[in-house]
Amino acid sequence: MPPVIEISGLRKTYQKLLRRPHNALDGLDMEVAAGQVHGFLGPNGSGKTTTLRALLGLIGTDAGVMRIFGEEVPGRLPHVIGRIGAVVESPQFFKHFTGRLTLQLLAESVGAPATRVDEVLEQVGLRDQAGQSVKGYSLGMRQRLAVAQALLKRPELLILDEPANGLDPAGIHHMRELLQWLAHDQGATVLVSSHLLSEVQQLCDSMTIVSRGRRIVDGRVADILAGHSGSRLSVRFADNGRLTEAVEALVSAGDVSVEAEPDRLLVTGAPEAAWVTRTLADAGLYLSELTTETKNLESVFLELTGTAPQAGRAVQVGHAAPETTAAGGDQR
Amino acid sequence: MNLFKTELHRLLRRRLSLLFGIVAVSGLVLLSVVLWFNSESEVSSAEQAYGEEQAAVYQAELDRCKADEGYFTDERNWGYDVGEDYPELSHAEVCDEMLSWGTDPSDHYMVYIFDFSAEGVWMLVGIAIVGGLLVMLLTASAIGAEWSSGNMANLLVWHPNRLRVWGAKLAASLTLGAVALVAMLLLGFGLLYLVAATSGQVGELDGRWWEESLAILGRTVVMGLGMTVLGAALAMLGRHTAIAGGVIAGYLIIGDLLVRLAGFAFNVKYPDLFSLYTWVGAWISGEMTLFANVMSANGEFEDQMILTATDAGLLLGAILALFAGLATWSFAKRDVT
Repeated sequence: MPPVIEISGLRKTYQKLLRRPHNALDGLDMEVAAGQVHGFLGPNGSGKTTTLRALLGLIGTDAGVMRIFGEEVPGRLPHVIGRIGAVVESPQFFKHFTGRLTLQLLAESVGAPATRVDEVLEQVGLRDQAGQSVKGYSLGMRQRLAVAQALLKRPELLILDEPANGLDPAGIHHMRELLQWLAHDQGATVLVSSHLLSEVQQLCDSMTIVSRGRRIVDGRVADILAGHSGSRLSVRFADNGRLTEAVEALVSAGDVSVEAEPDRLLVTGAPEAAWVTRTLADAGLYLSELTTETKNLESVFLELTGTAPQAGRAVQVGHAAPETTAAGGDQR
Repeated sequence: MNLFKTELHRLLRRRLSLLFGIVAVSGLVLLSVVLWFNSESEVSSAEQAYGEEQAAVYQAELDRCKADEGYFTDERNWGYDVGEDYPELSHAEVCDEMLSWGTDPSDHYMVYIFDFSAEGVWMLVGIAIVGGLLVMLLTASAIGAEWSSGNMANLLVWHPNRLRVWGAKLAASLTLGAVALVAMLLLGFGLLYLVAATSGQVGELDGRWWEESLAILGRTVVMGLGMTVLGAALAMLGRHTAIAGGVIAGYLIIGDLLVRLAGFAFNVKYPDLFSLYTWVGAWISGEMTLFANVMSANGEFEDQMILTATDAGLLLGAILALFAGLATWSFAKRDVT
């Protein structure tokens, strides 16, 4: 099945008078397969929202090709927009309109049946607040309303920018179930950009991580995490006084790097955990604990985008540490 | 069609629409009430006697002028031959020109009688202009609010064909504007006619009156619709209500004064040509005479120029087309961020 979204070599440069041009997108590539919840991750200023805006025809691009459902956009966007529901950045509405009126006006503009309004209000959990004016809505309620409007058209592709923003834990759980239901039971494709990495880890089947307007890695979430887990082993001893001796034993026995901490060693590059045990035992050193460092998405994200905090240095928007390493998934 | 209906619906559901509607109706009622209290339906007998007495004095002076060829050169009167300024008129006609005011008793009445046939149409013109300003502000506010709230981006995610969106917004604004202006004029006509019938005089509303009045009011409504398009275009260009309002108010208050002063400073023959009000006046009234900025030795303007409604329509239409074109280009090409 061809990808629902294909982006190739996308470039967007902002020219400013008396300032250096800023490349918001620098040859971005991305593919989103059908029927999946796809996460779109990146640090602030990495080009996520710019990409979504370009896909939806809100901004022009300087180079590259974008296709949705095989149709080149933005030229053919009017032909496929009926199959797309989208929310870009924080949802905005007329404050004095009620939630229901907001949806009714949008439904009316595309000839959608009025009954659909109540269906989506029910789906996002806003049925009881639909008669209130939007100015009384919390951020989370506005977020639900935004998702409701995106669902009005029964979209085959749902594009959501930070959908969990402002939602309480119950709301996040509800949203996750809704989006997974849409993708896995209804066959819709969901593209979600988010900063809530743990949420993406739980919600998404696949993901693309971008930094400085370029793709860093993409693939199935499980594969990306697996590629970055298990490569580091934590080793503890009953007697911390023998840590130096253990470092020498491991380094001399194989091509591994060992980082010594006051109470443990972190071993990277070992072929398997048993090799560490055997090597240390051969040297007369008996470990008390051997564990595999399991990384979560946050640590993988920080590592891939080079935005892990460093002592005394703030990470600037759109910047990353120069030495970026990547492993697992489809690295670019 | 769906989008047009939605835009119309959105405009009607705005609180500002309701507020402006209330302001417009209240203003019309207030004007009528004030007019009703200030106008008299007939002149009292004492006022009439005073008017006739004064008119007789003025008539006697006019008769004296006509009987005396040397009336104007007499030092006790004007002291110079006024007839030289009117070489095409006879002496009696010059007397009429100079001294006929006051010979009618009504010239001396101290009461105000609202005459619908004479004043009604210009009051309705004023009502239509105020209505046009309200519709212009309403349209600029609706589009400006969509931009400043971010709702425009939301709408374009639903309807990516920007020209279609712009067309629907303009069509909805013009439809609302046309209905609102015609409704205001009908209500204004009814109220003013009622005031004239009960506390003034209706006058003669013959075929010519209707023809001239409908032409003037028709052009005023067209101008109101043009103001609607201008408000929408400025809000689309500035992407904020305040920018549109600021440009309009700034030009009308300061800009027009500055260009007019510049016209005088550079000794332009017809400085009034630089004022937008001149062209608006010519458009509404159908014709306007401009006098050259040069006077003869006897204080007369040497030259004059006539602006017709067609001249004014062409210029005002060109200005409107320029702004509408810029707004269309801007909306079609600029990023929505």
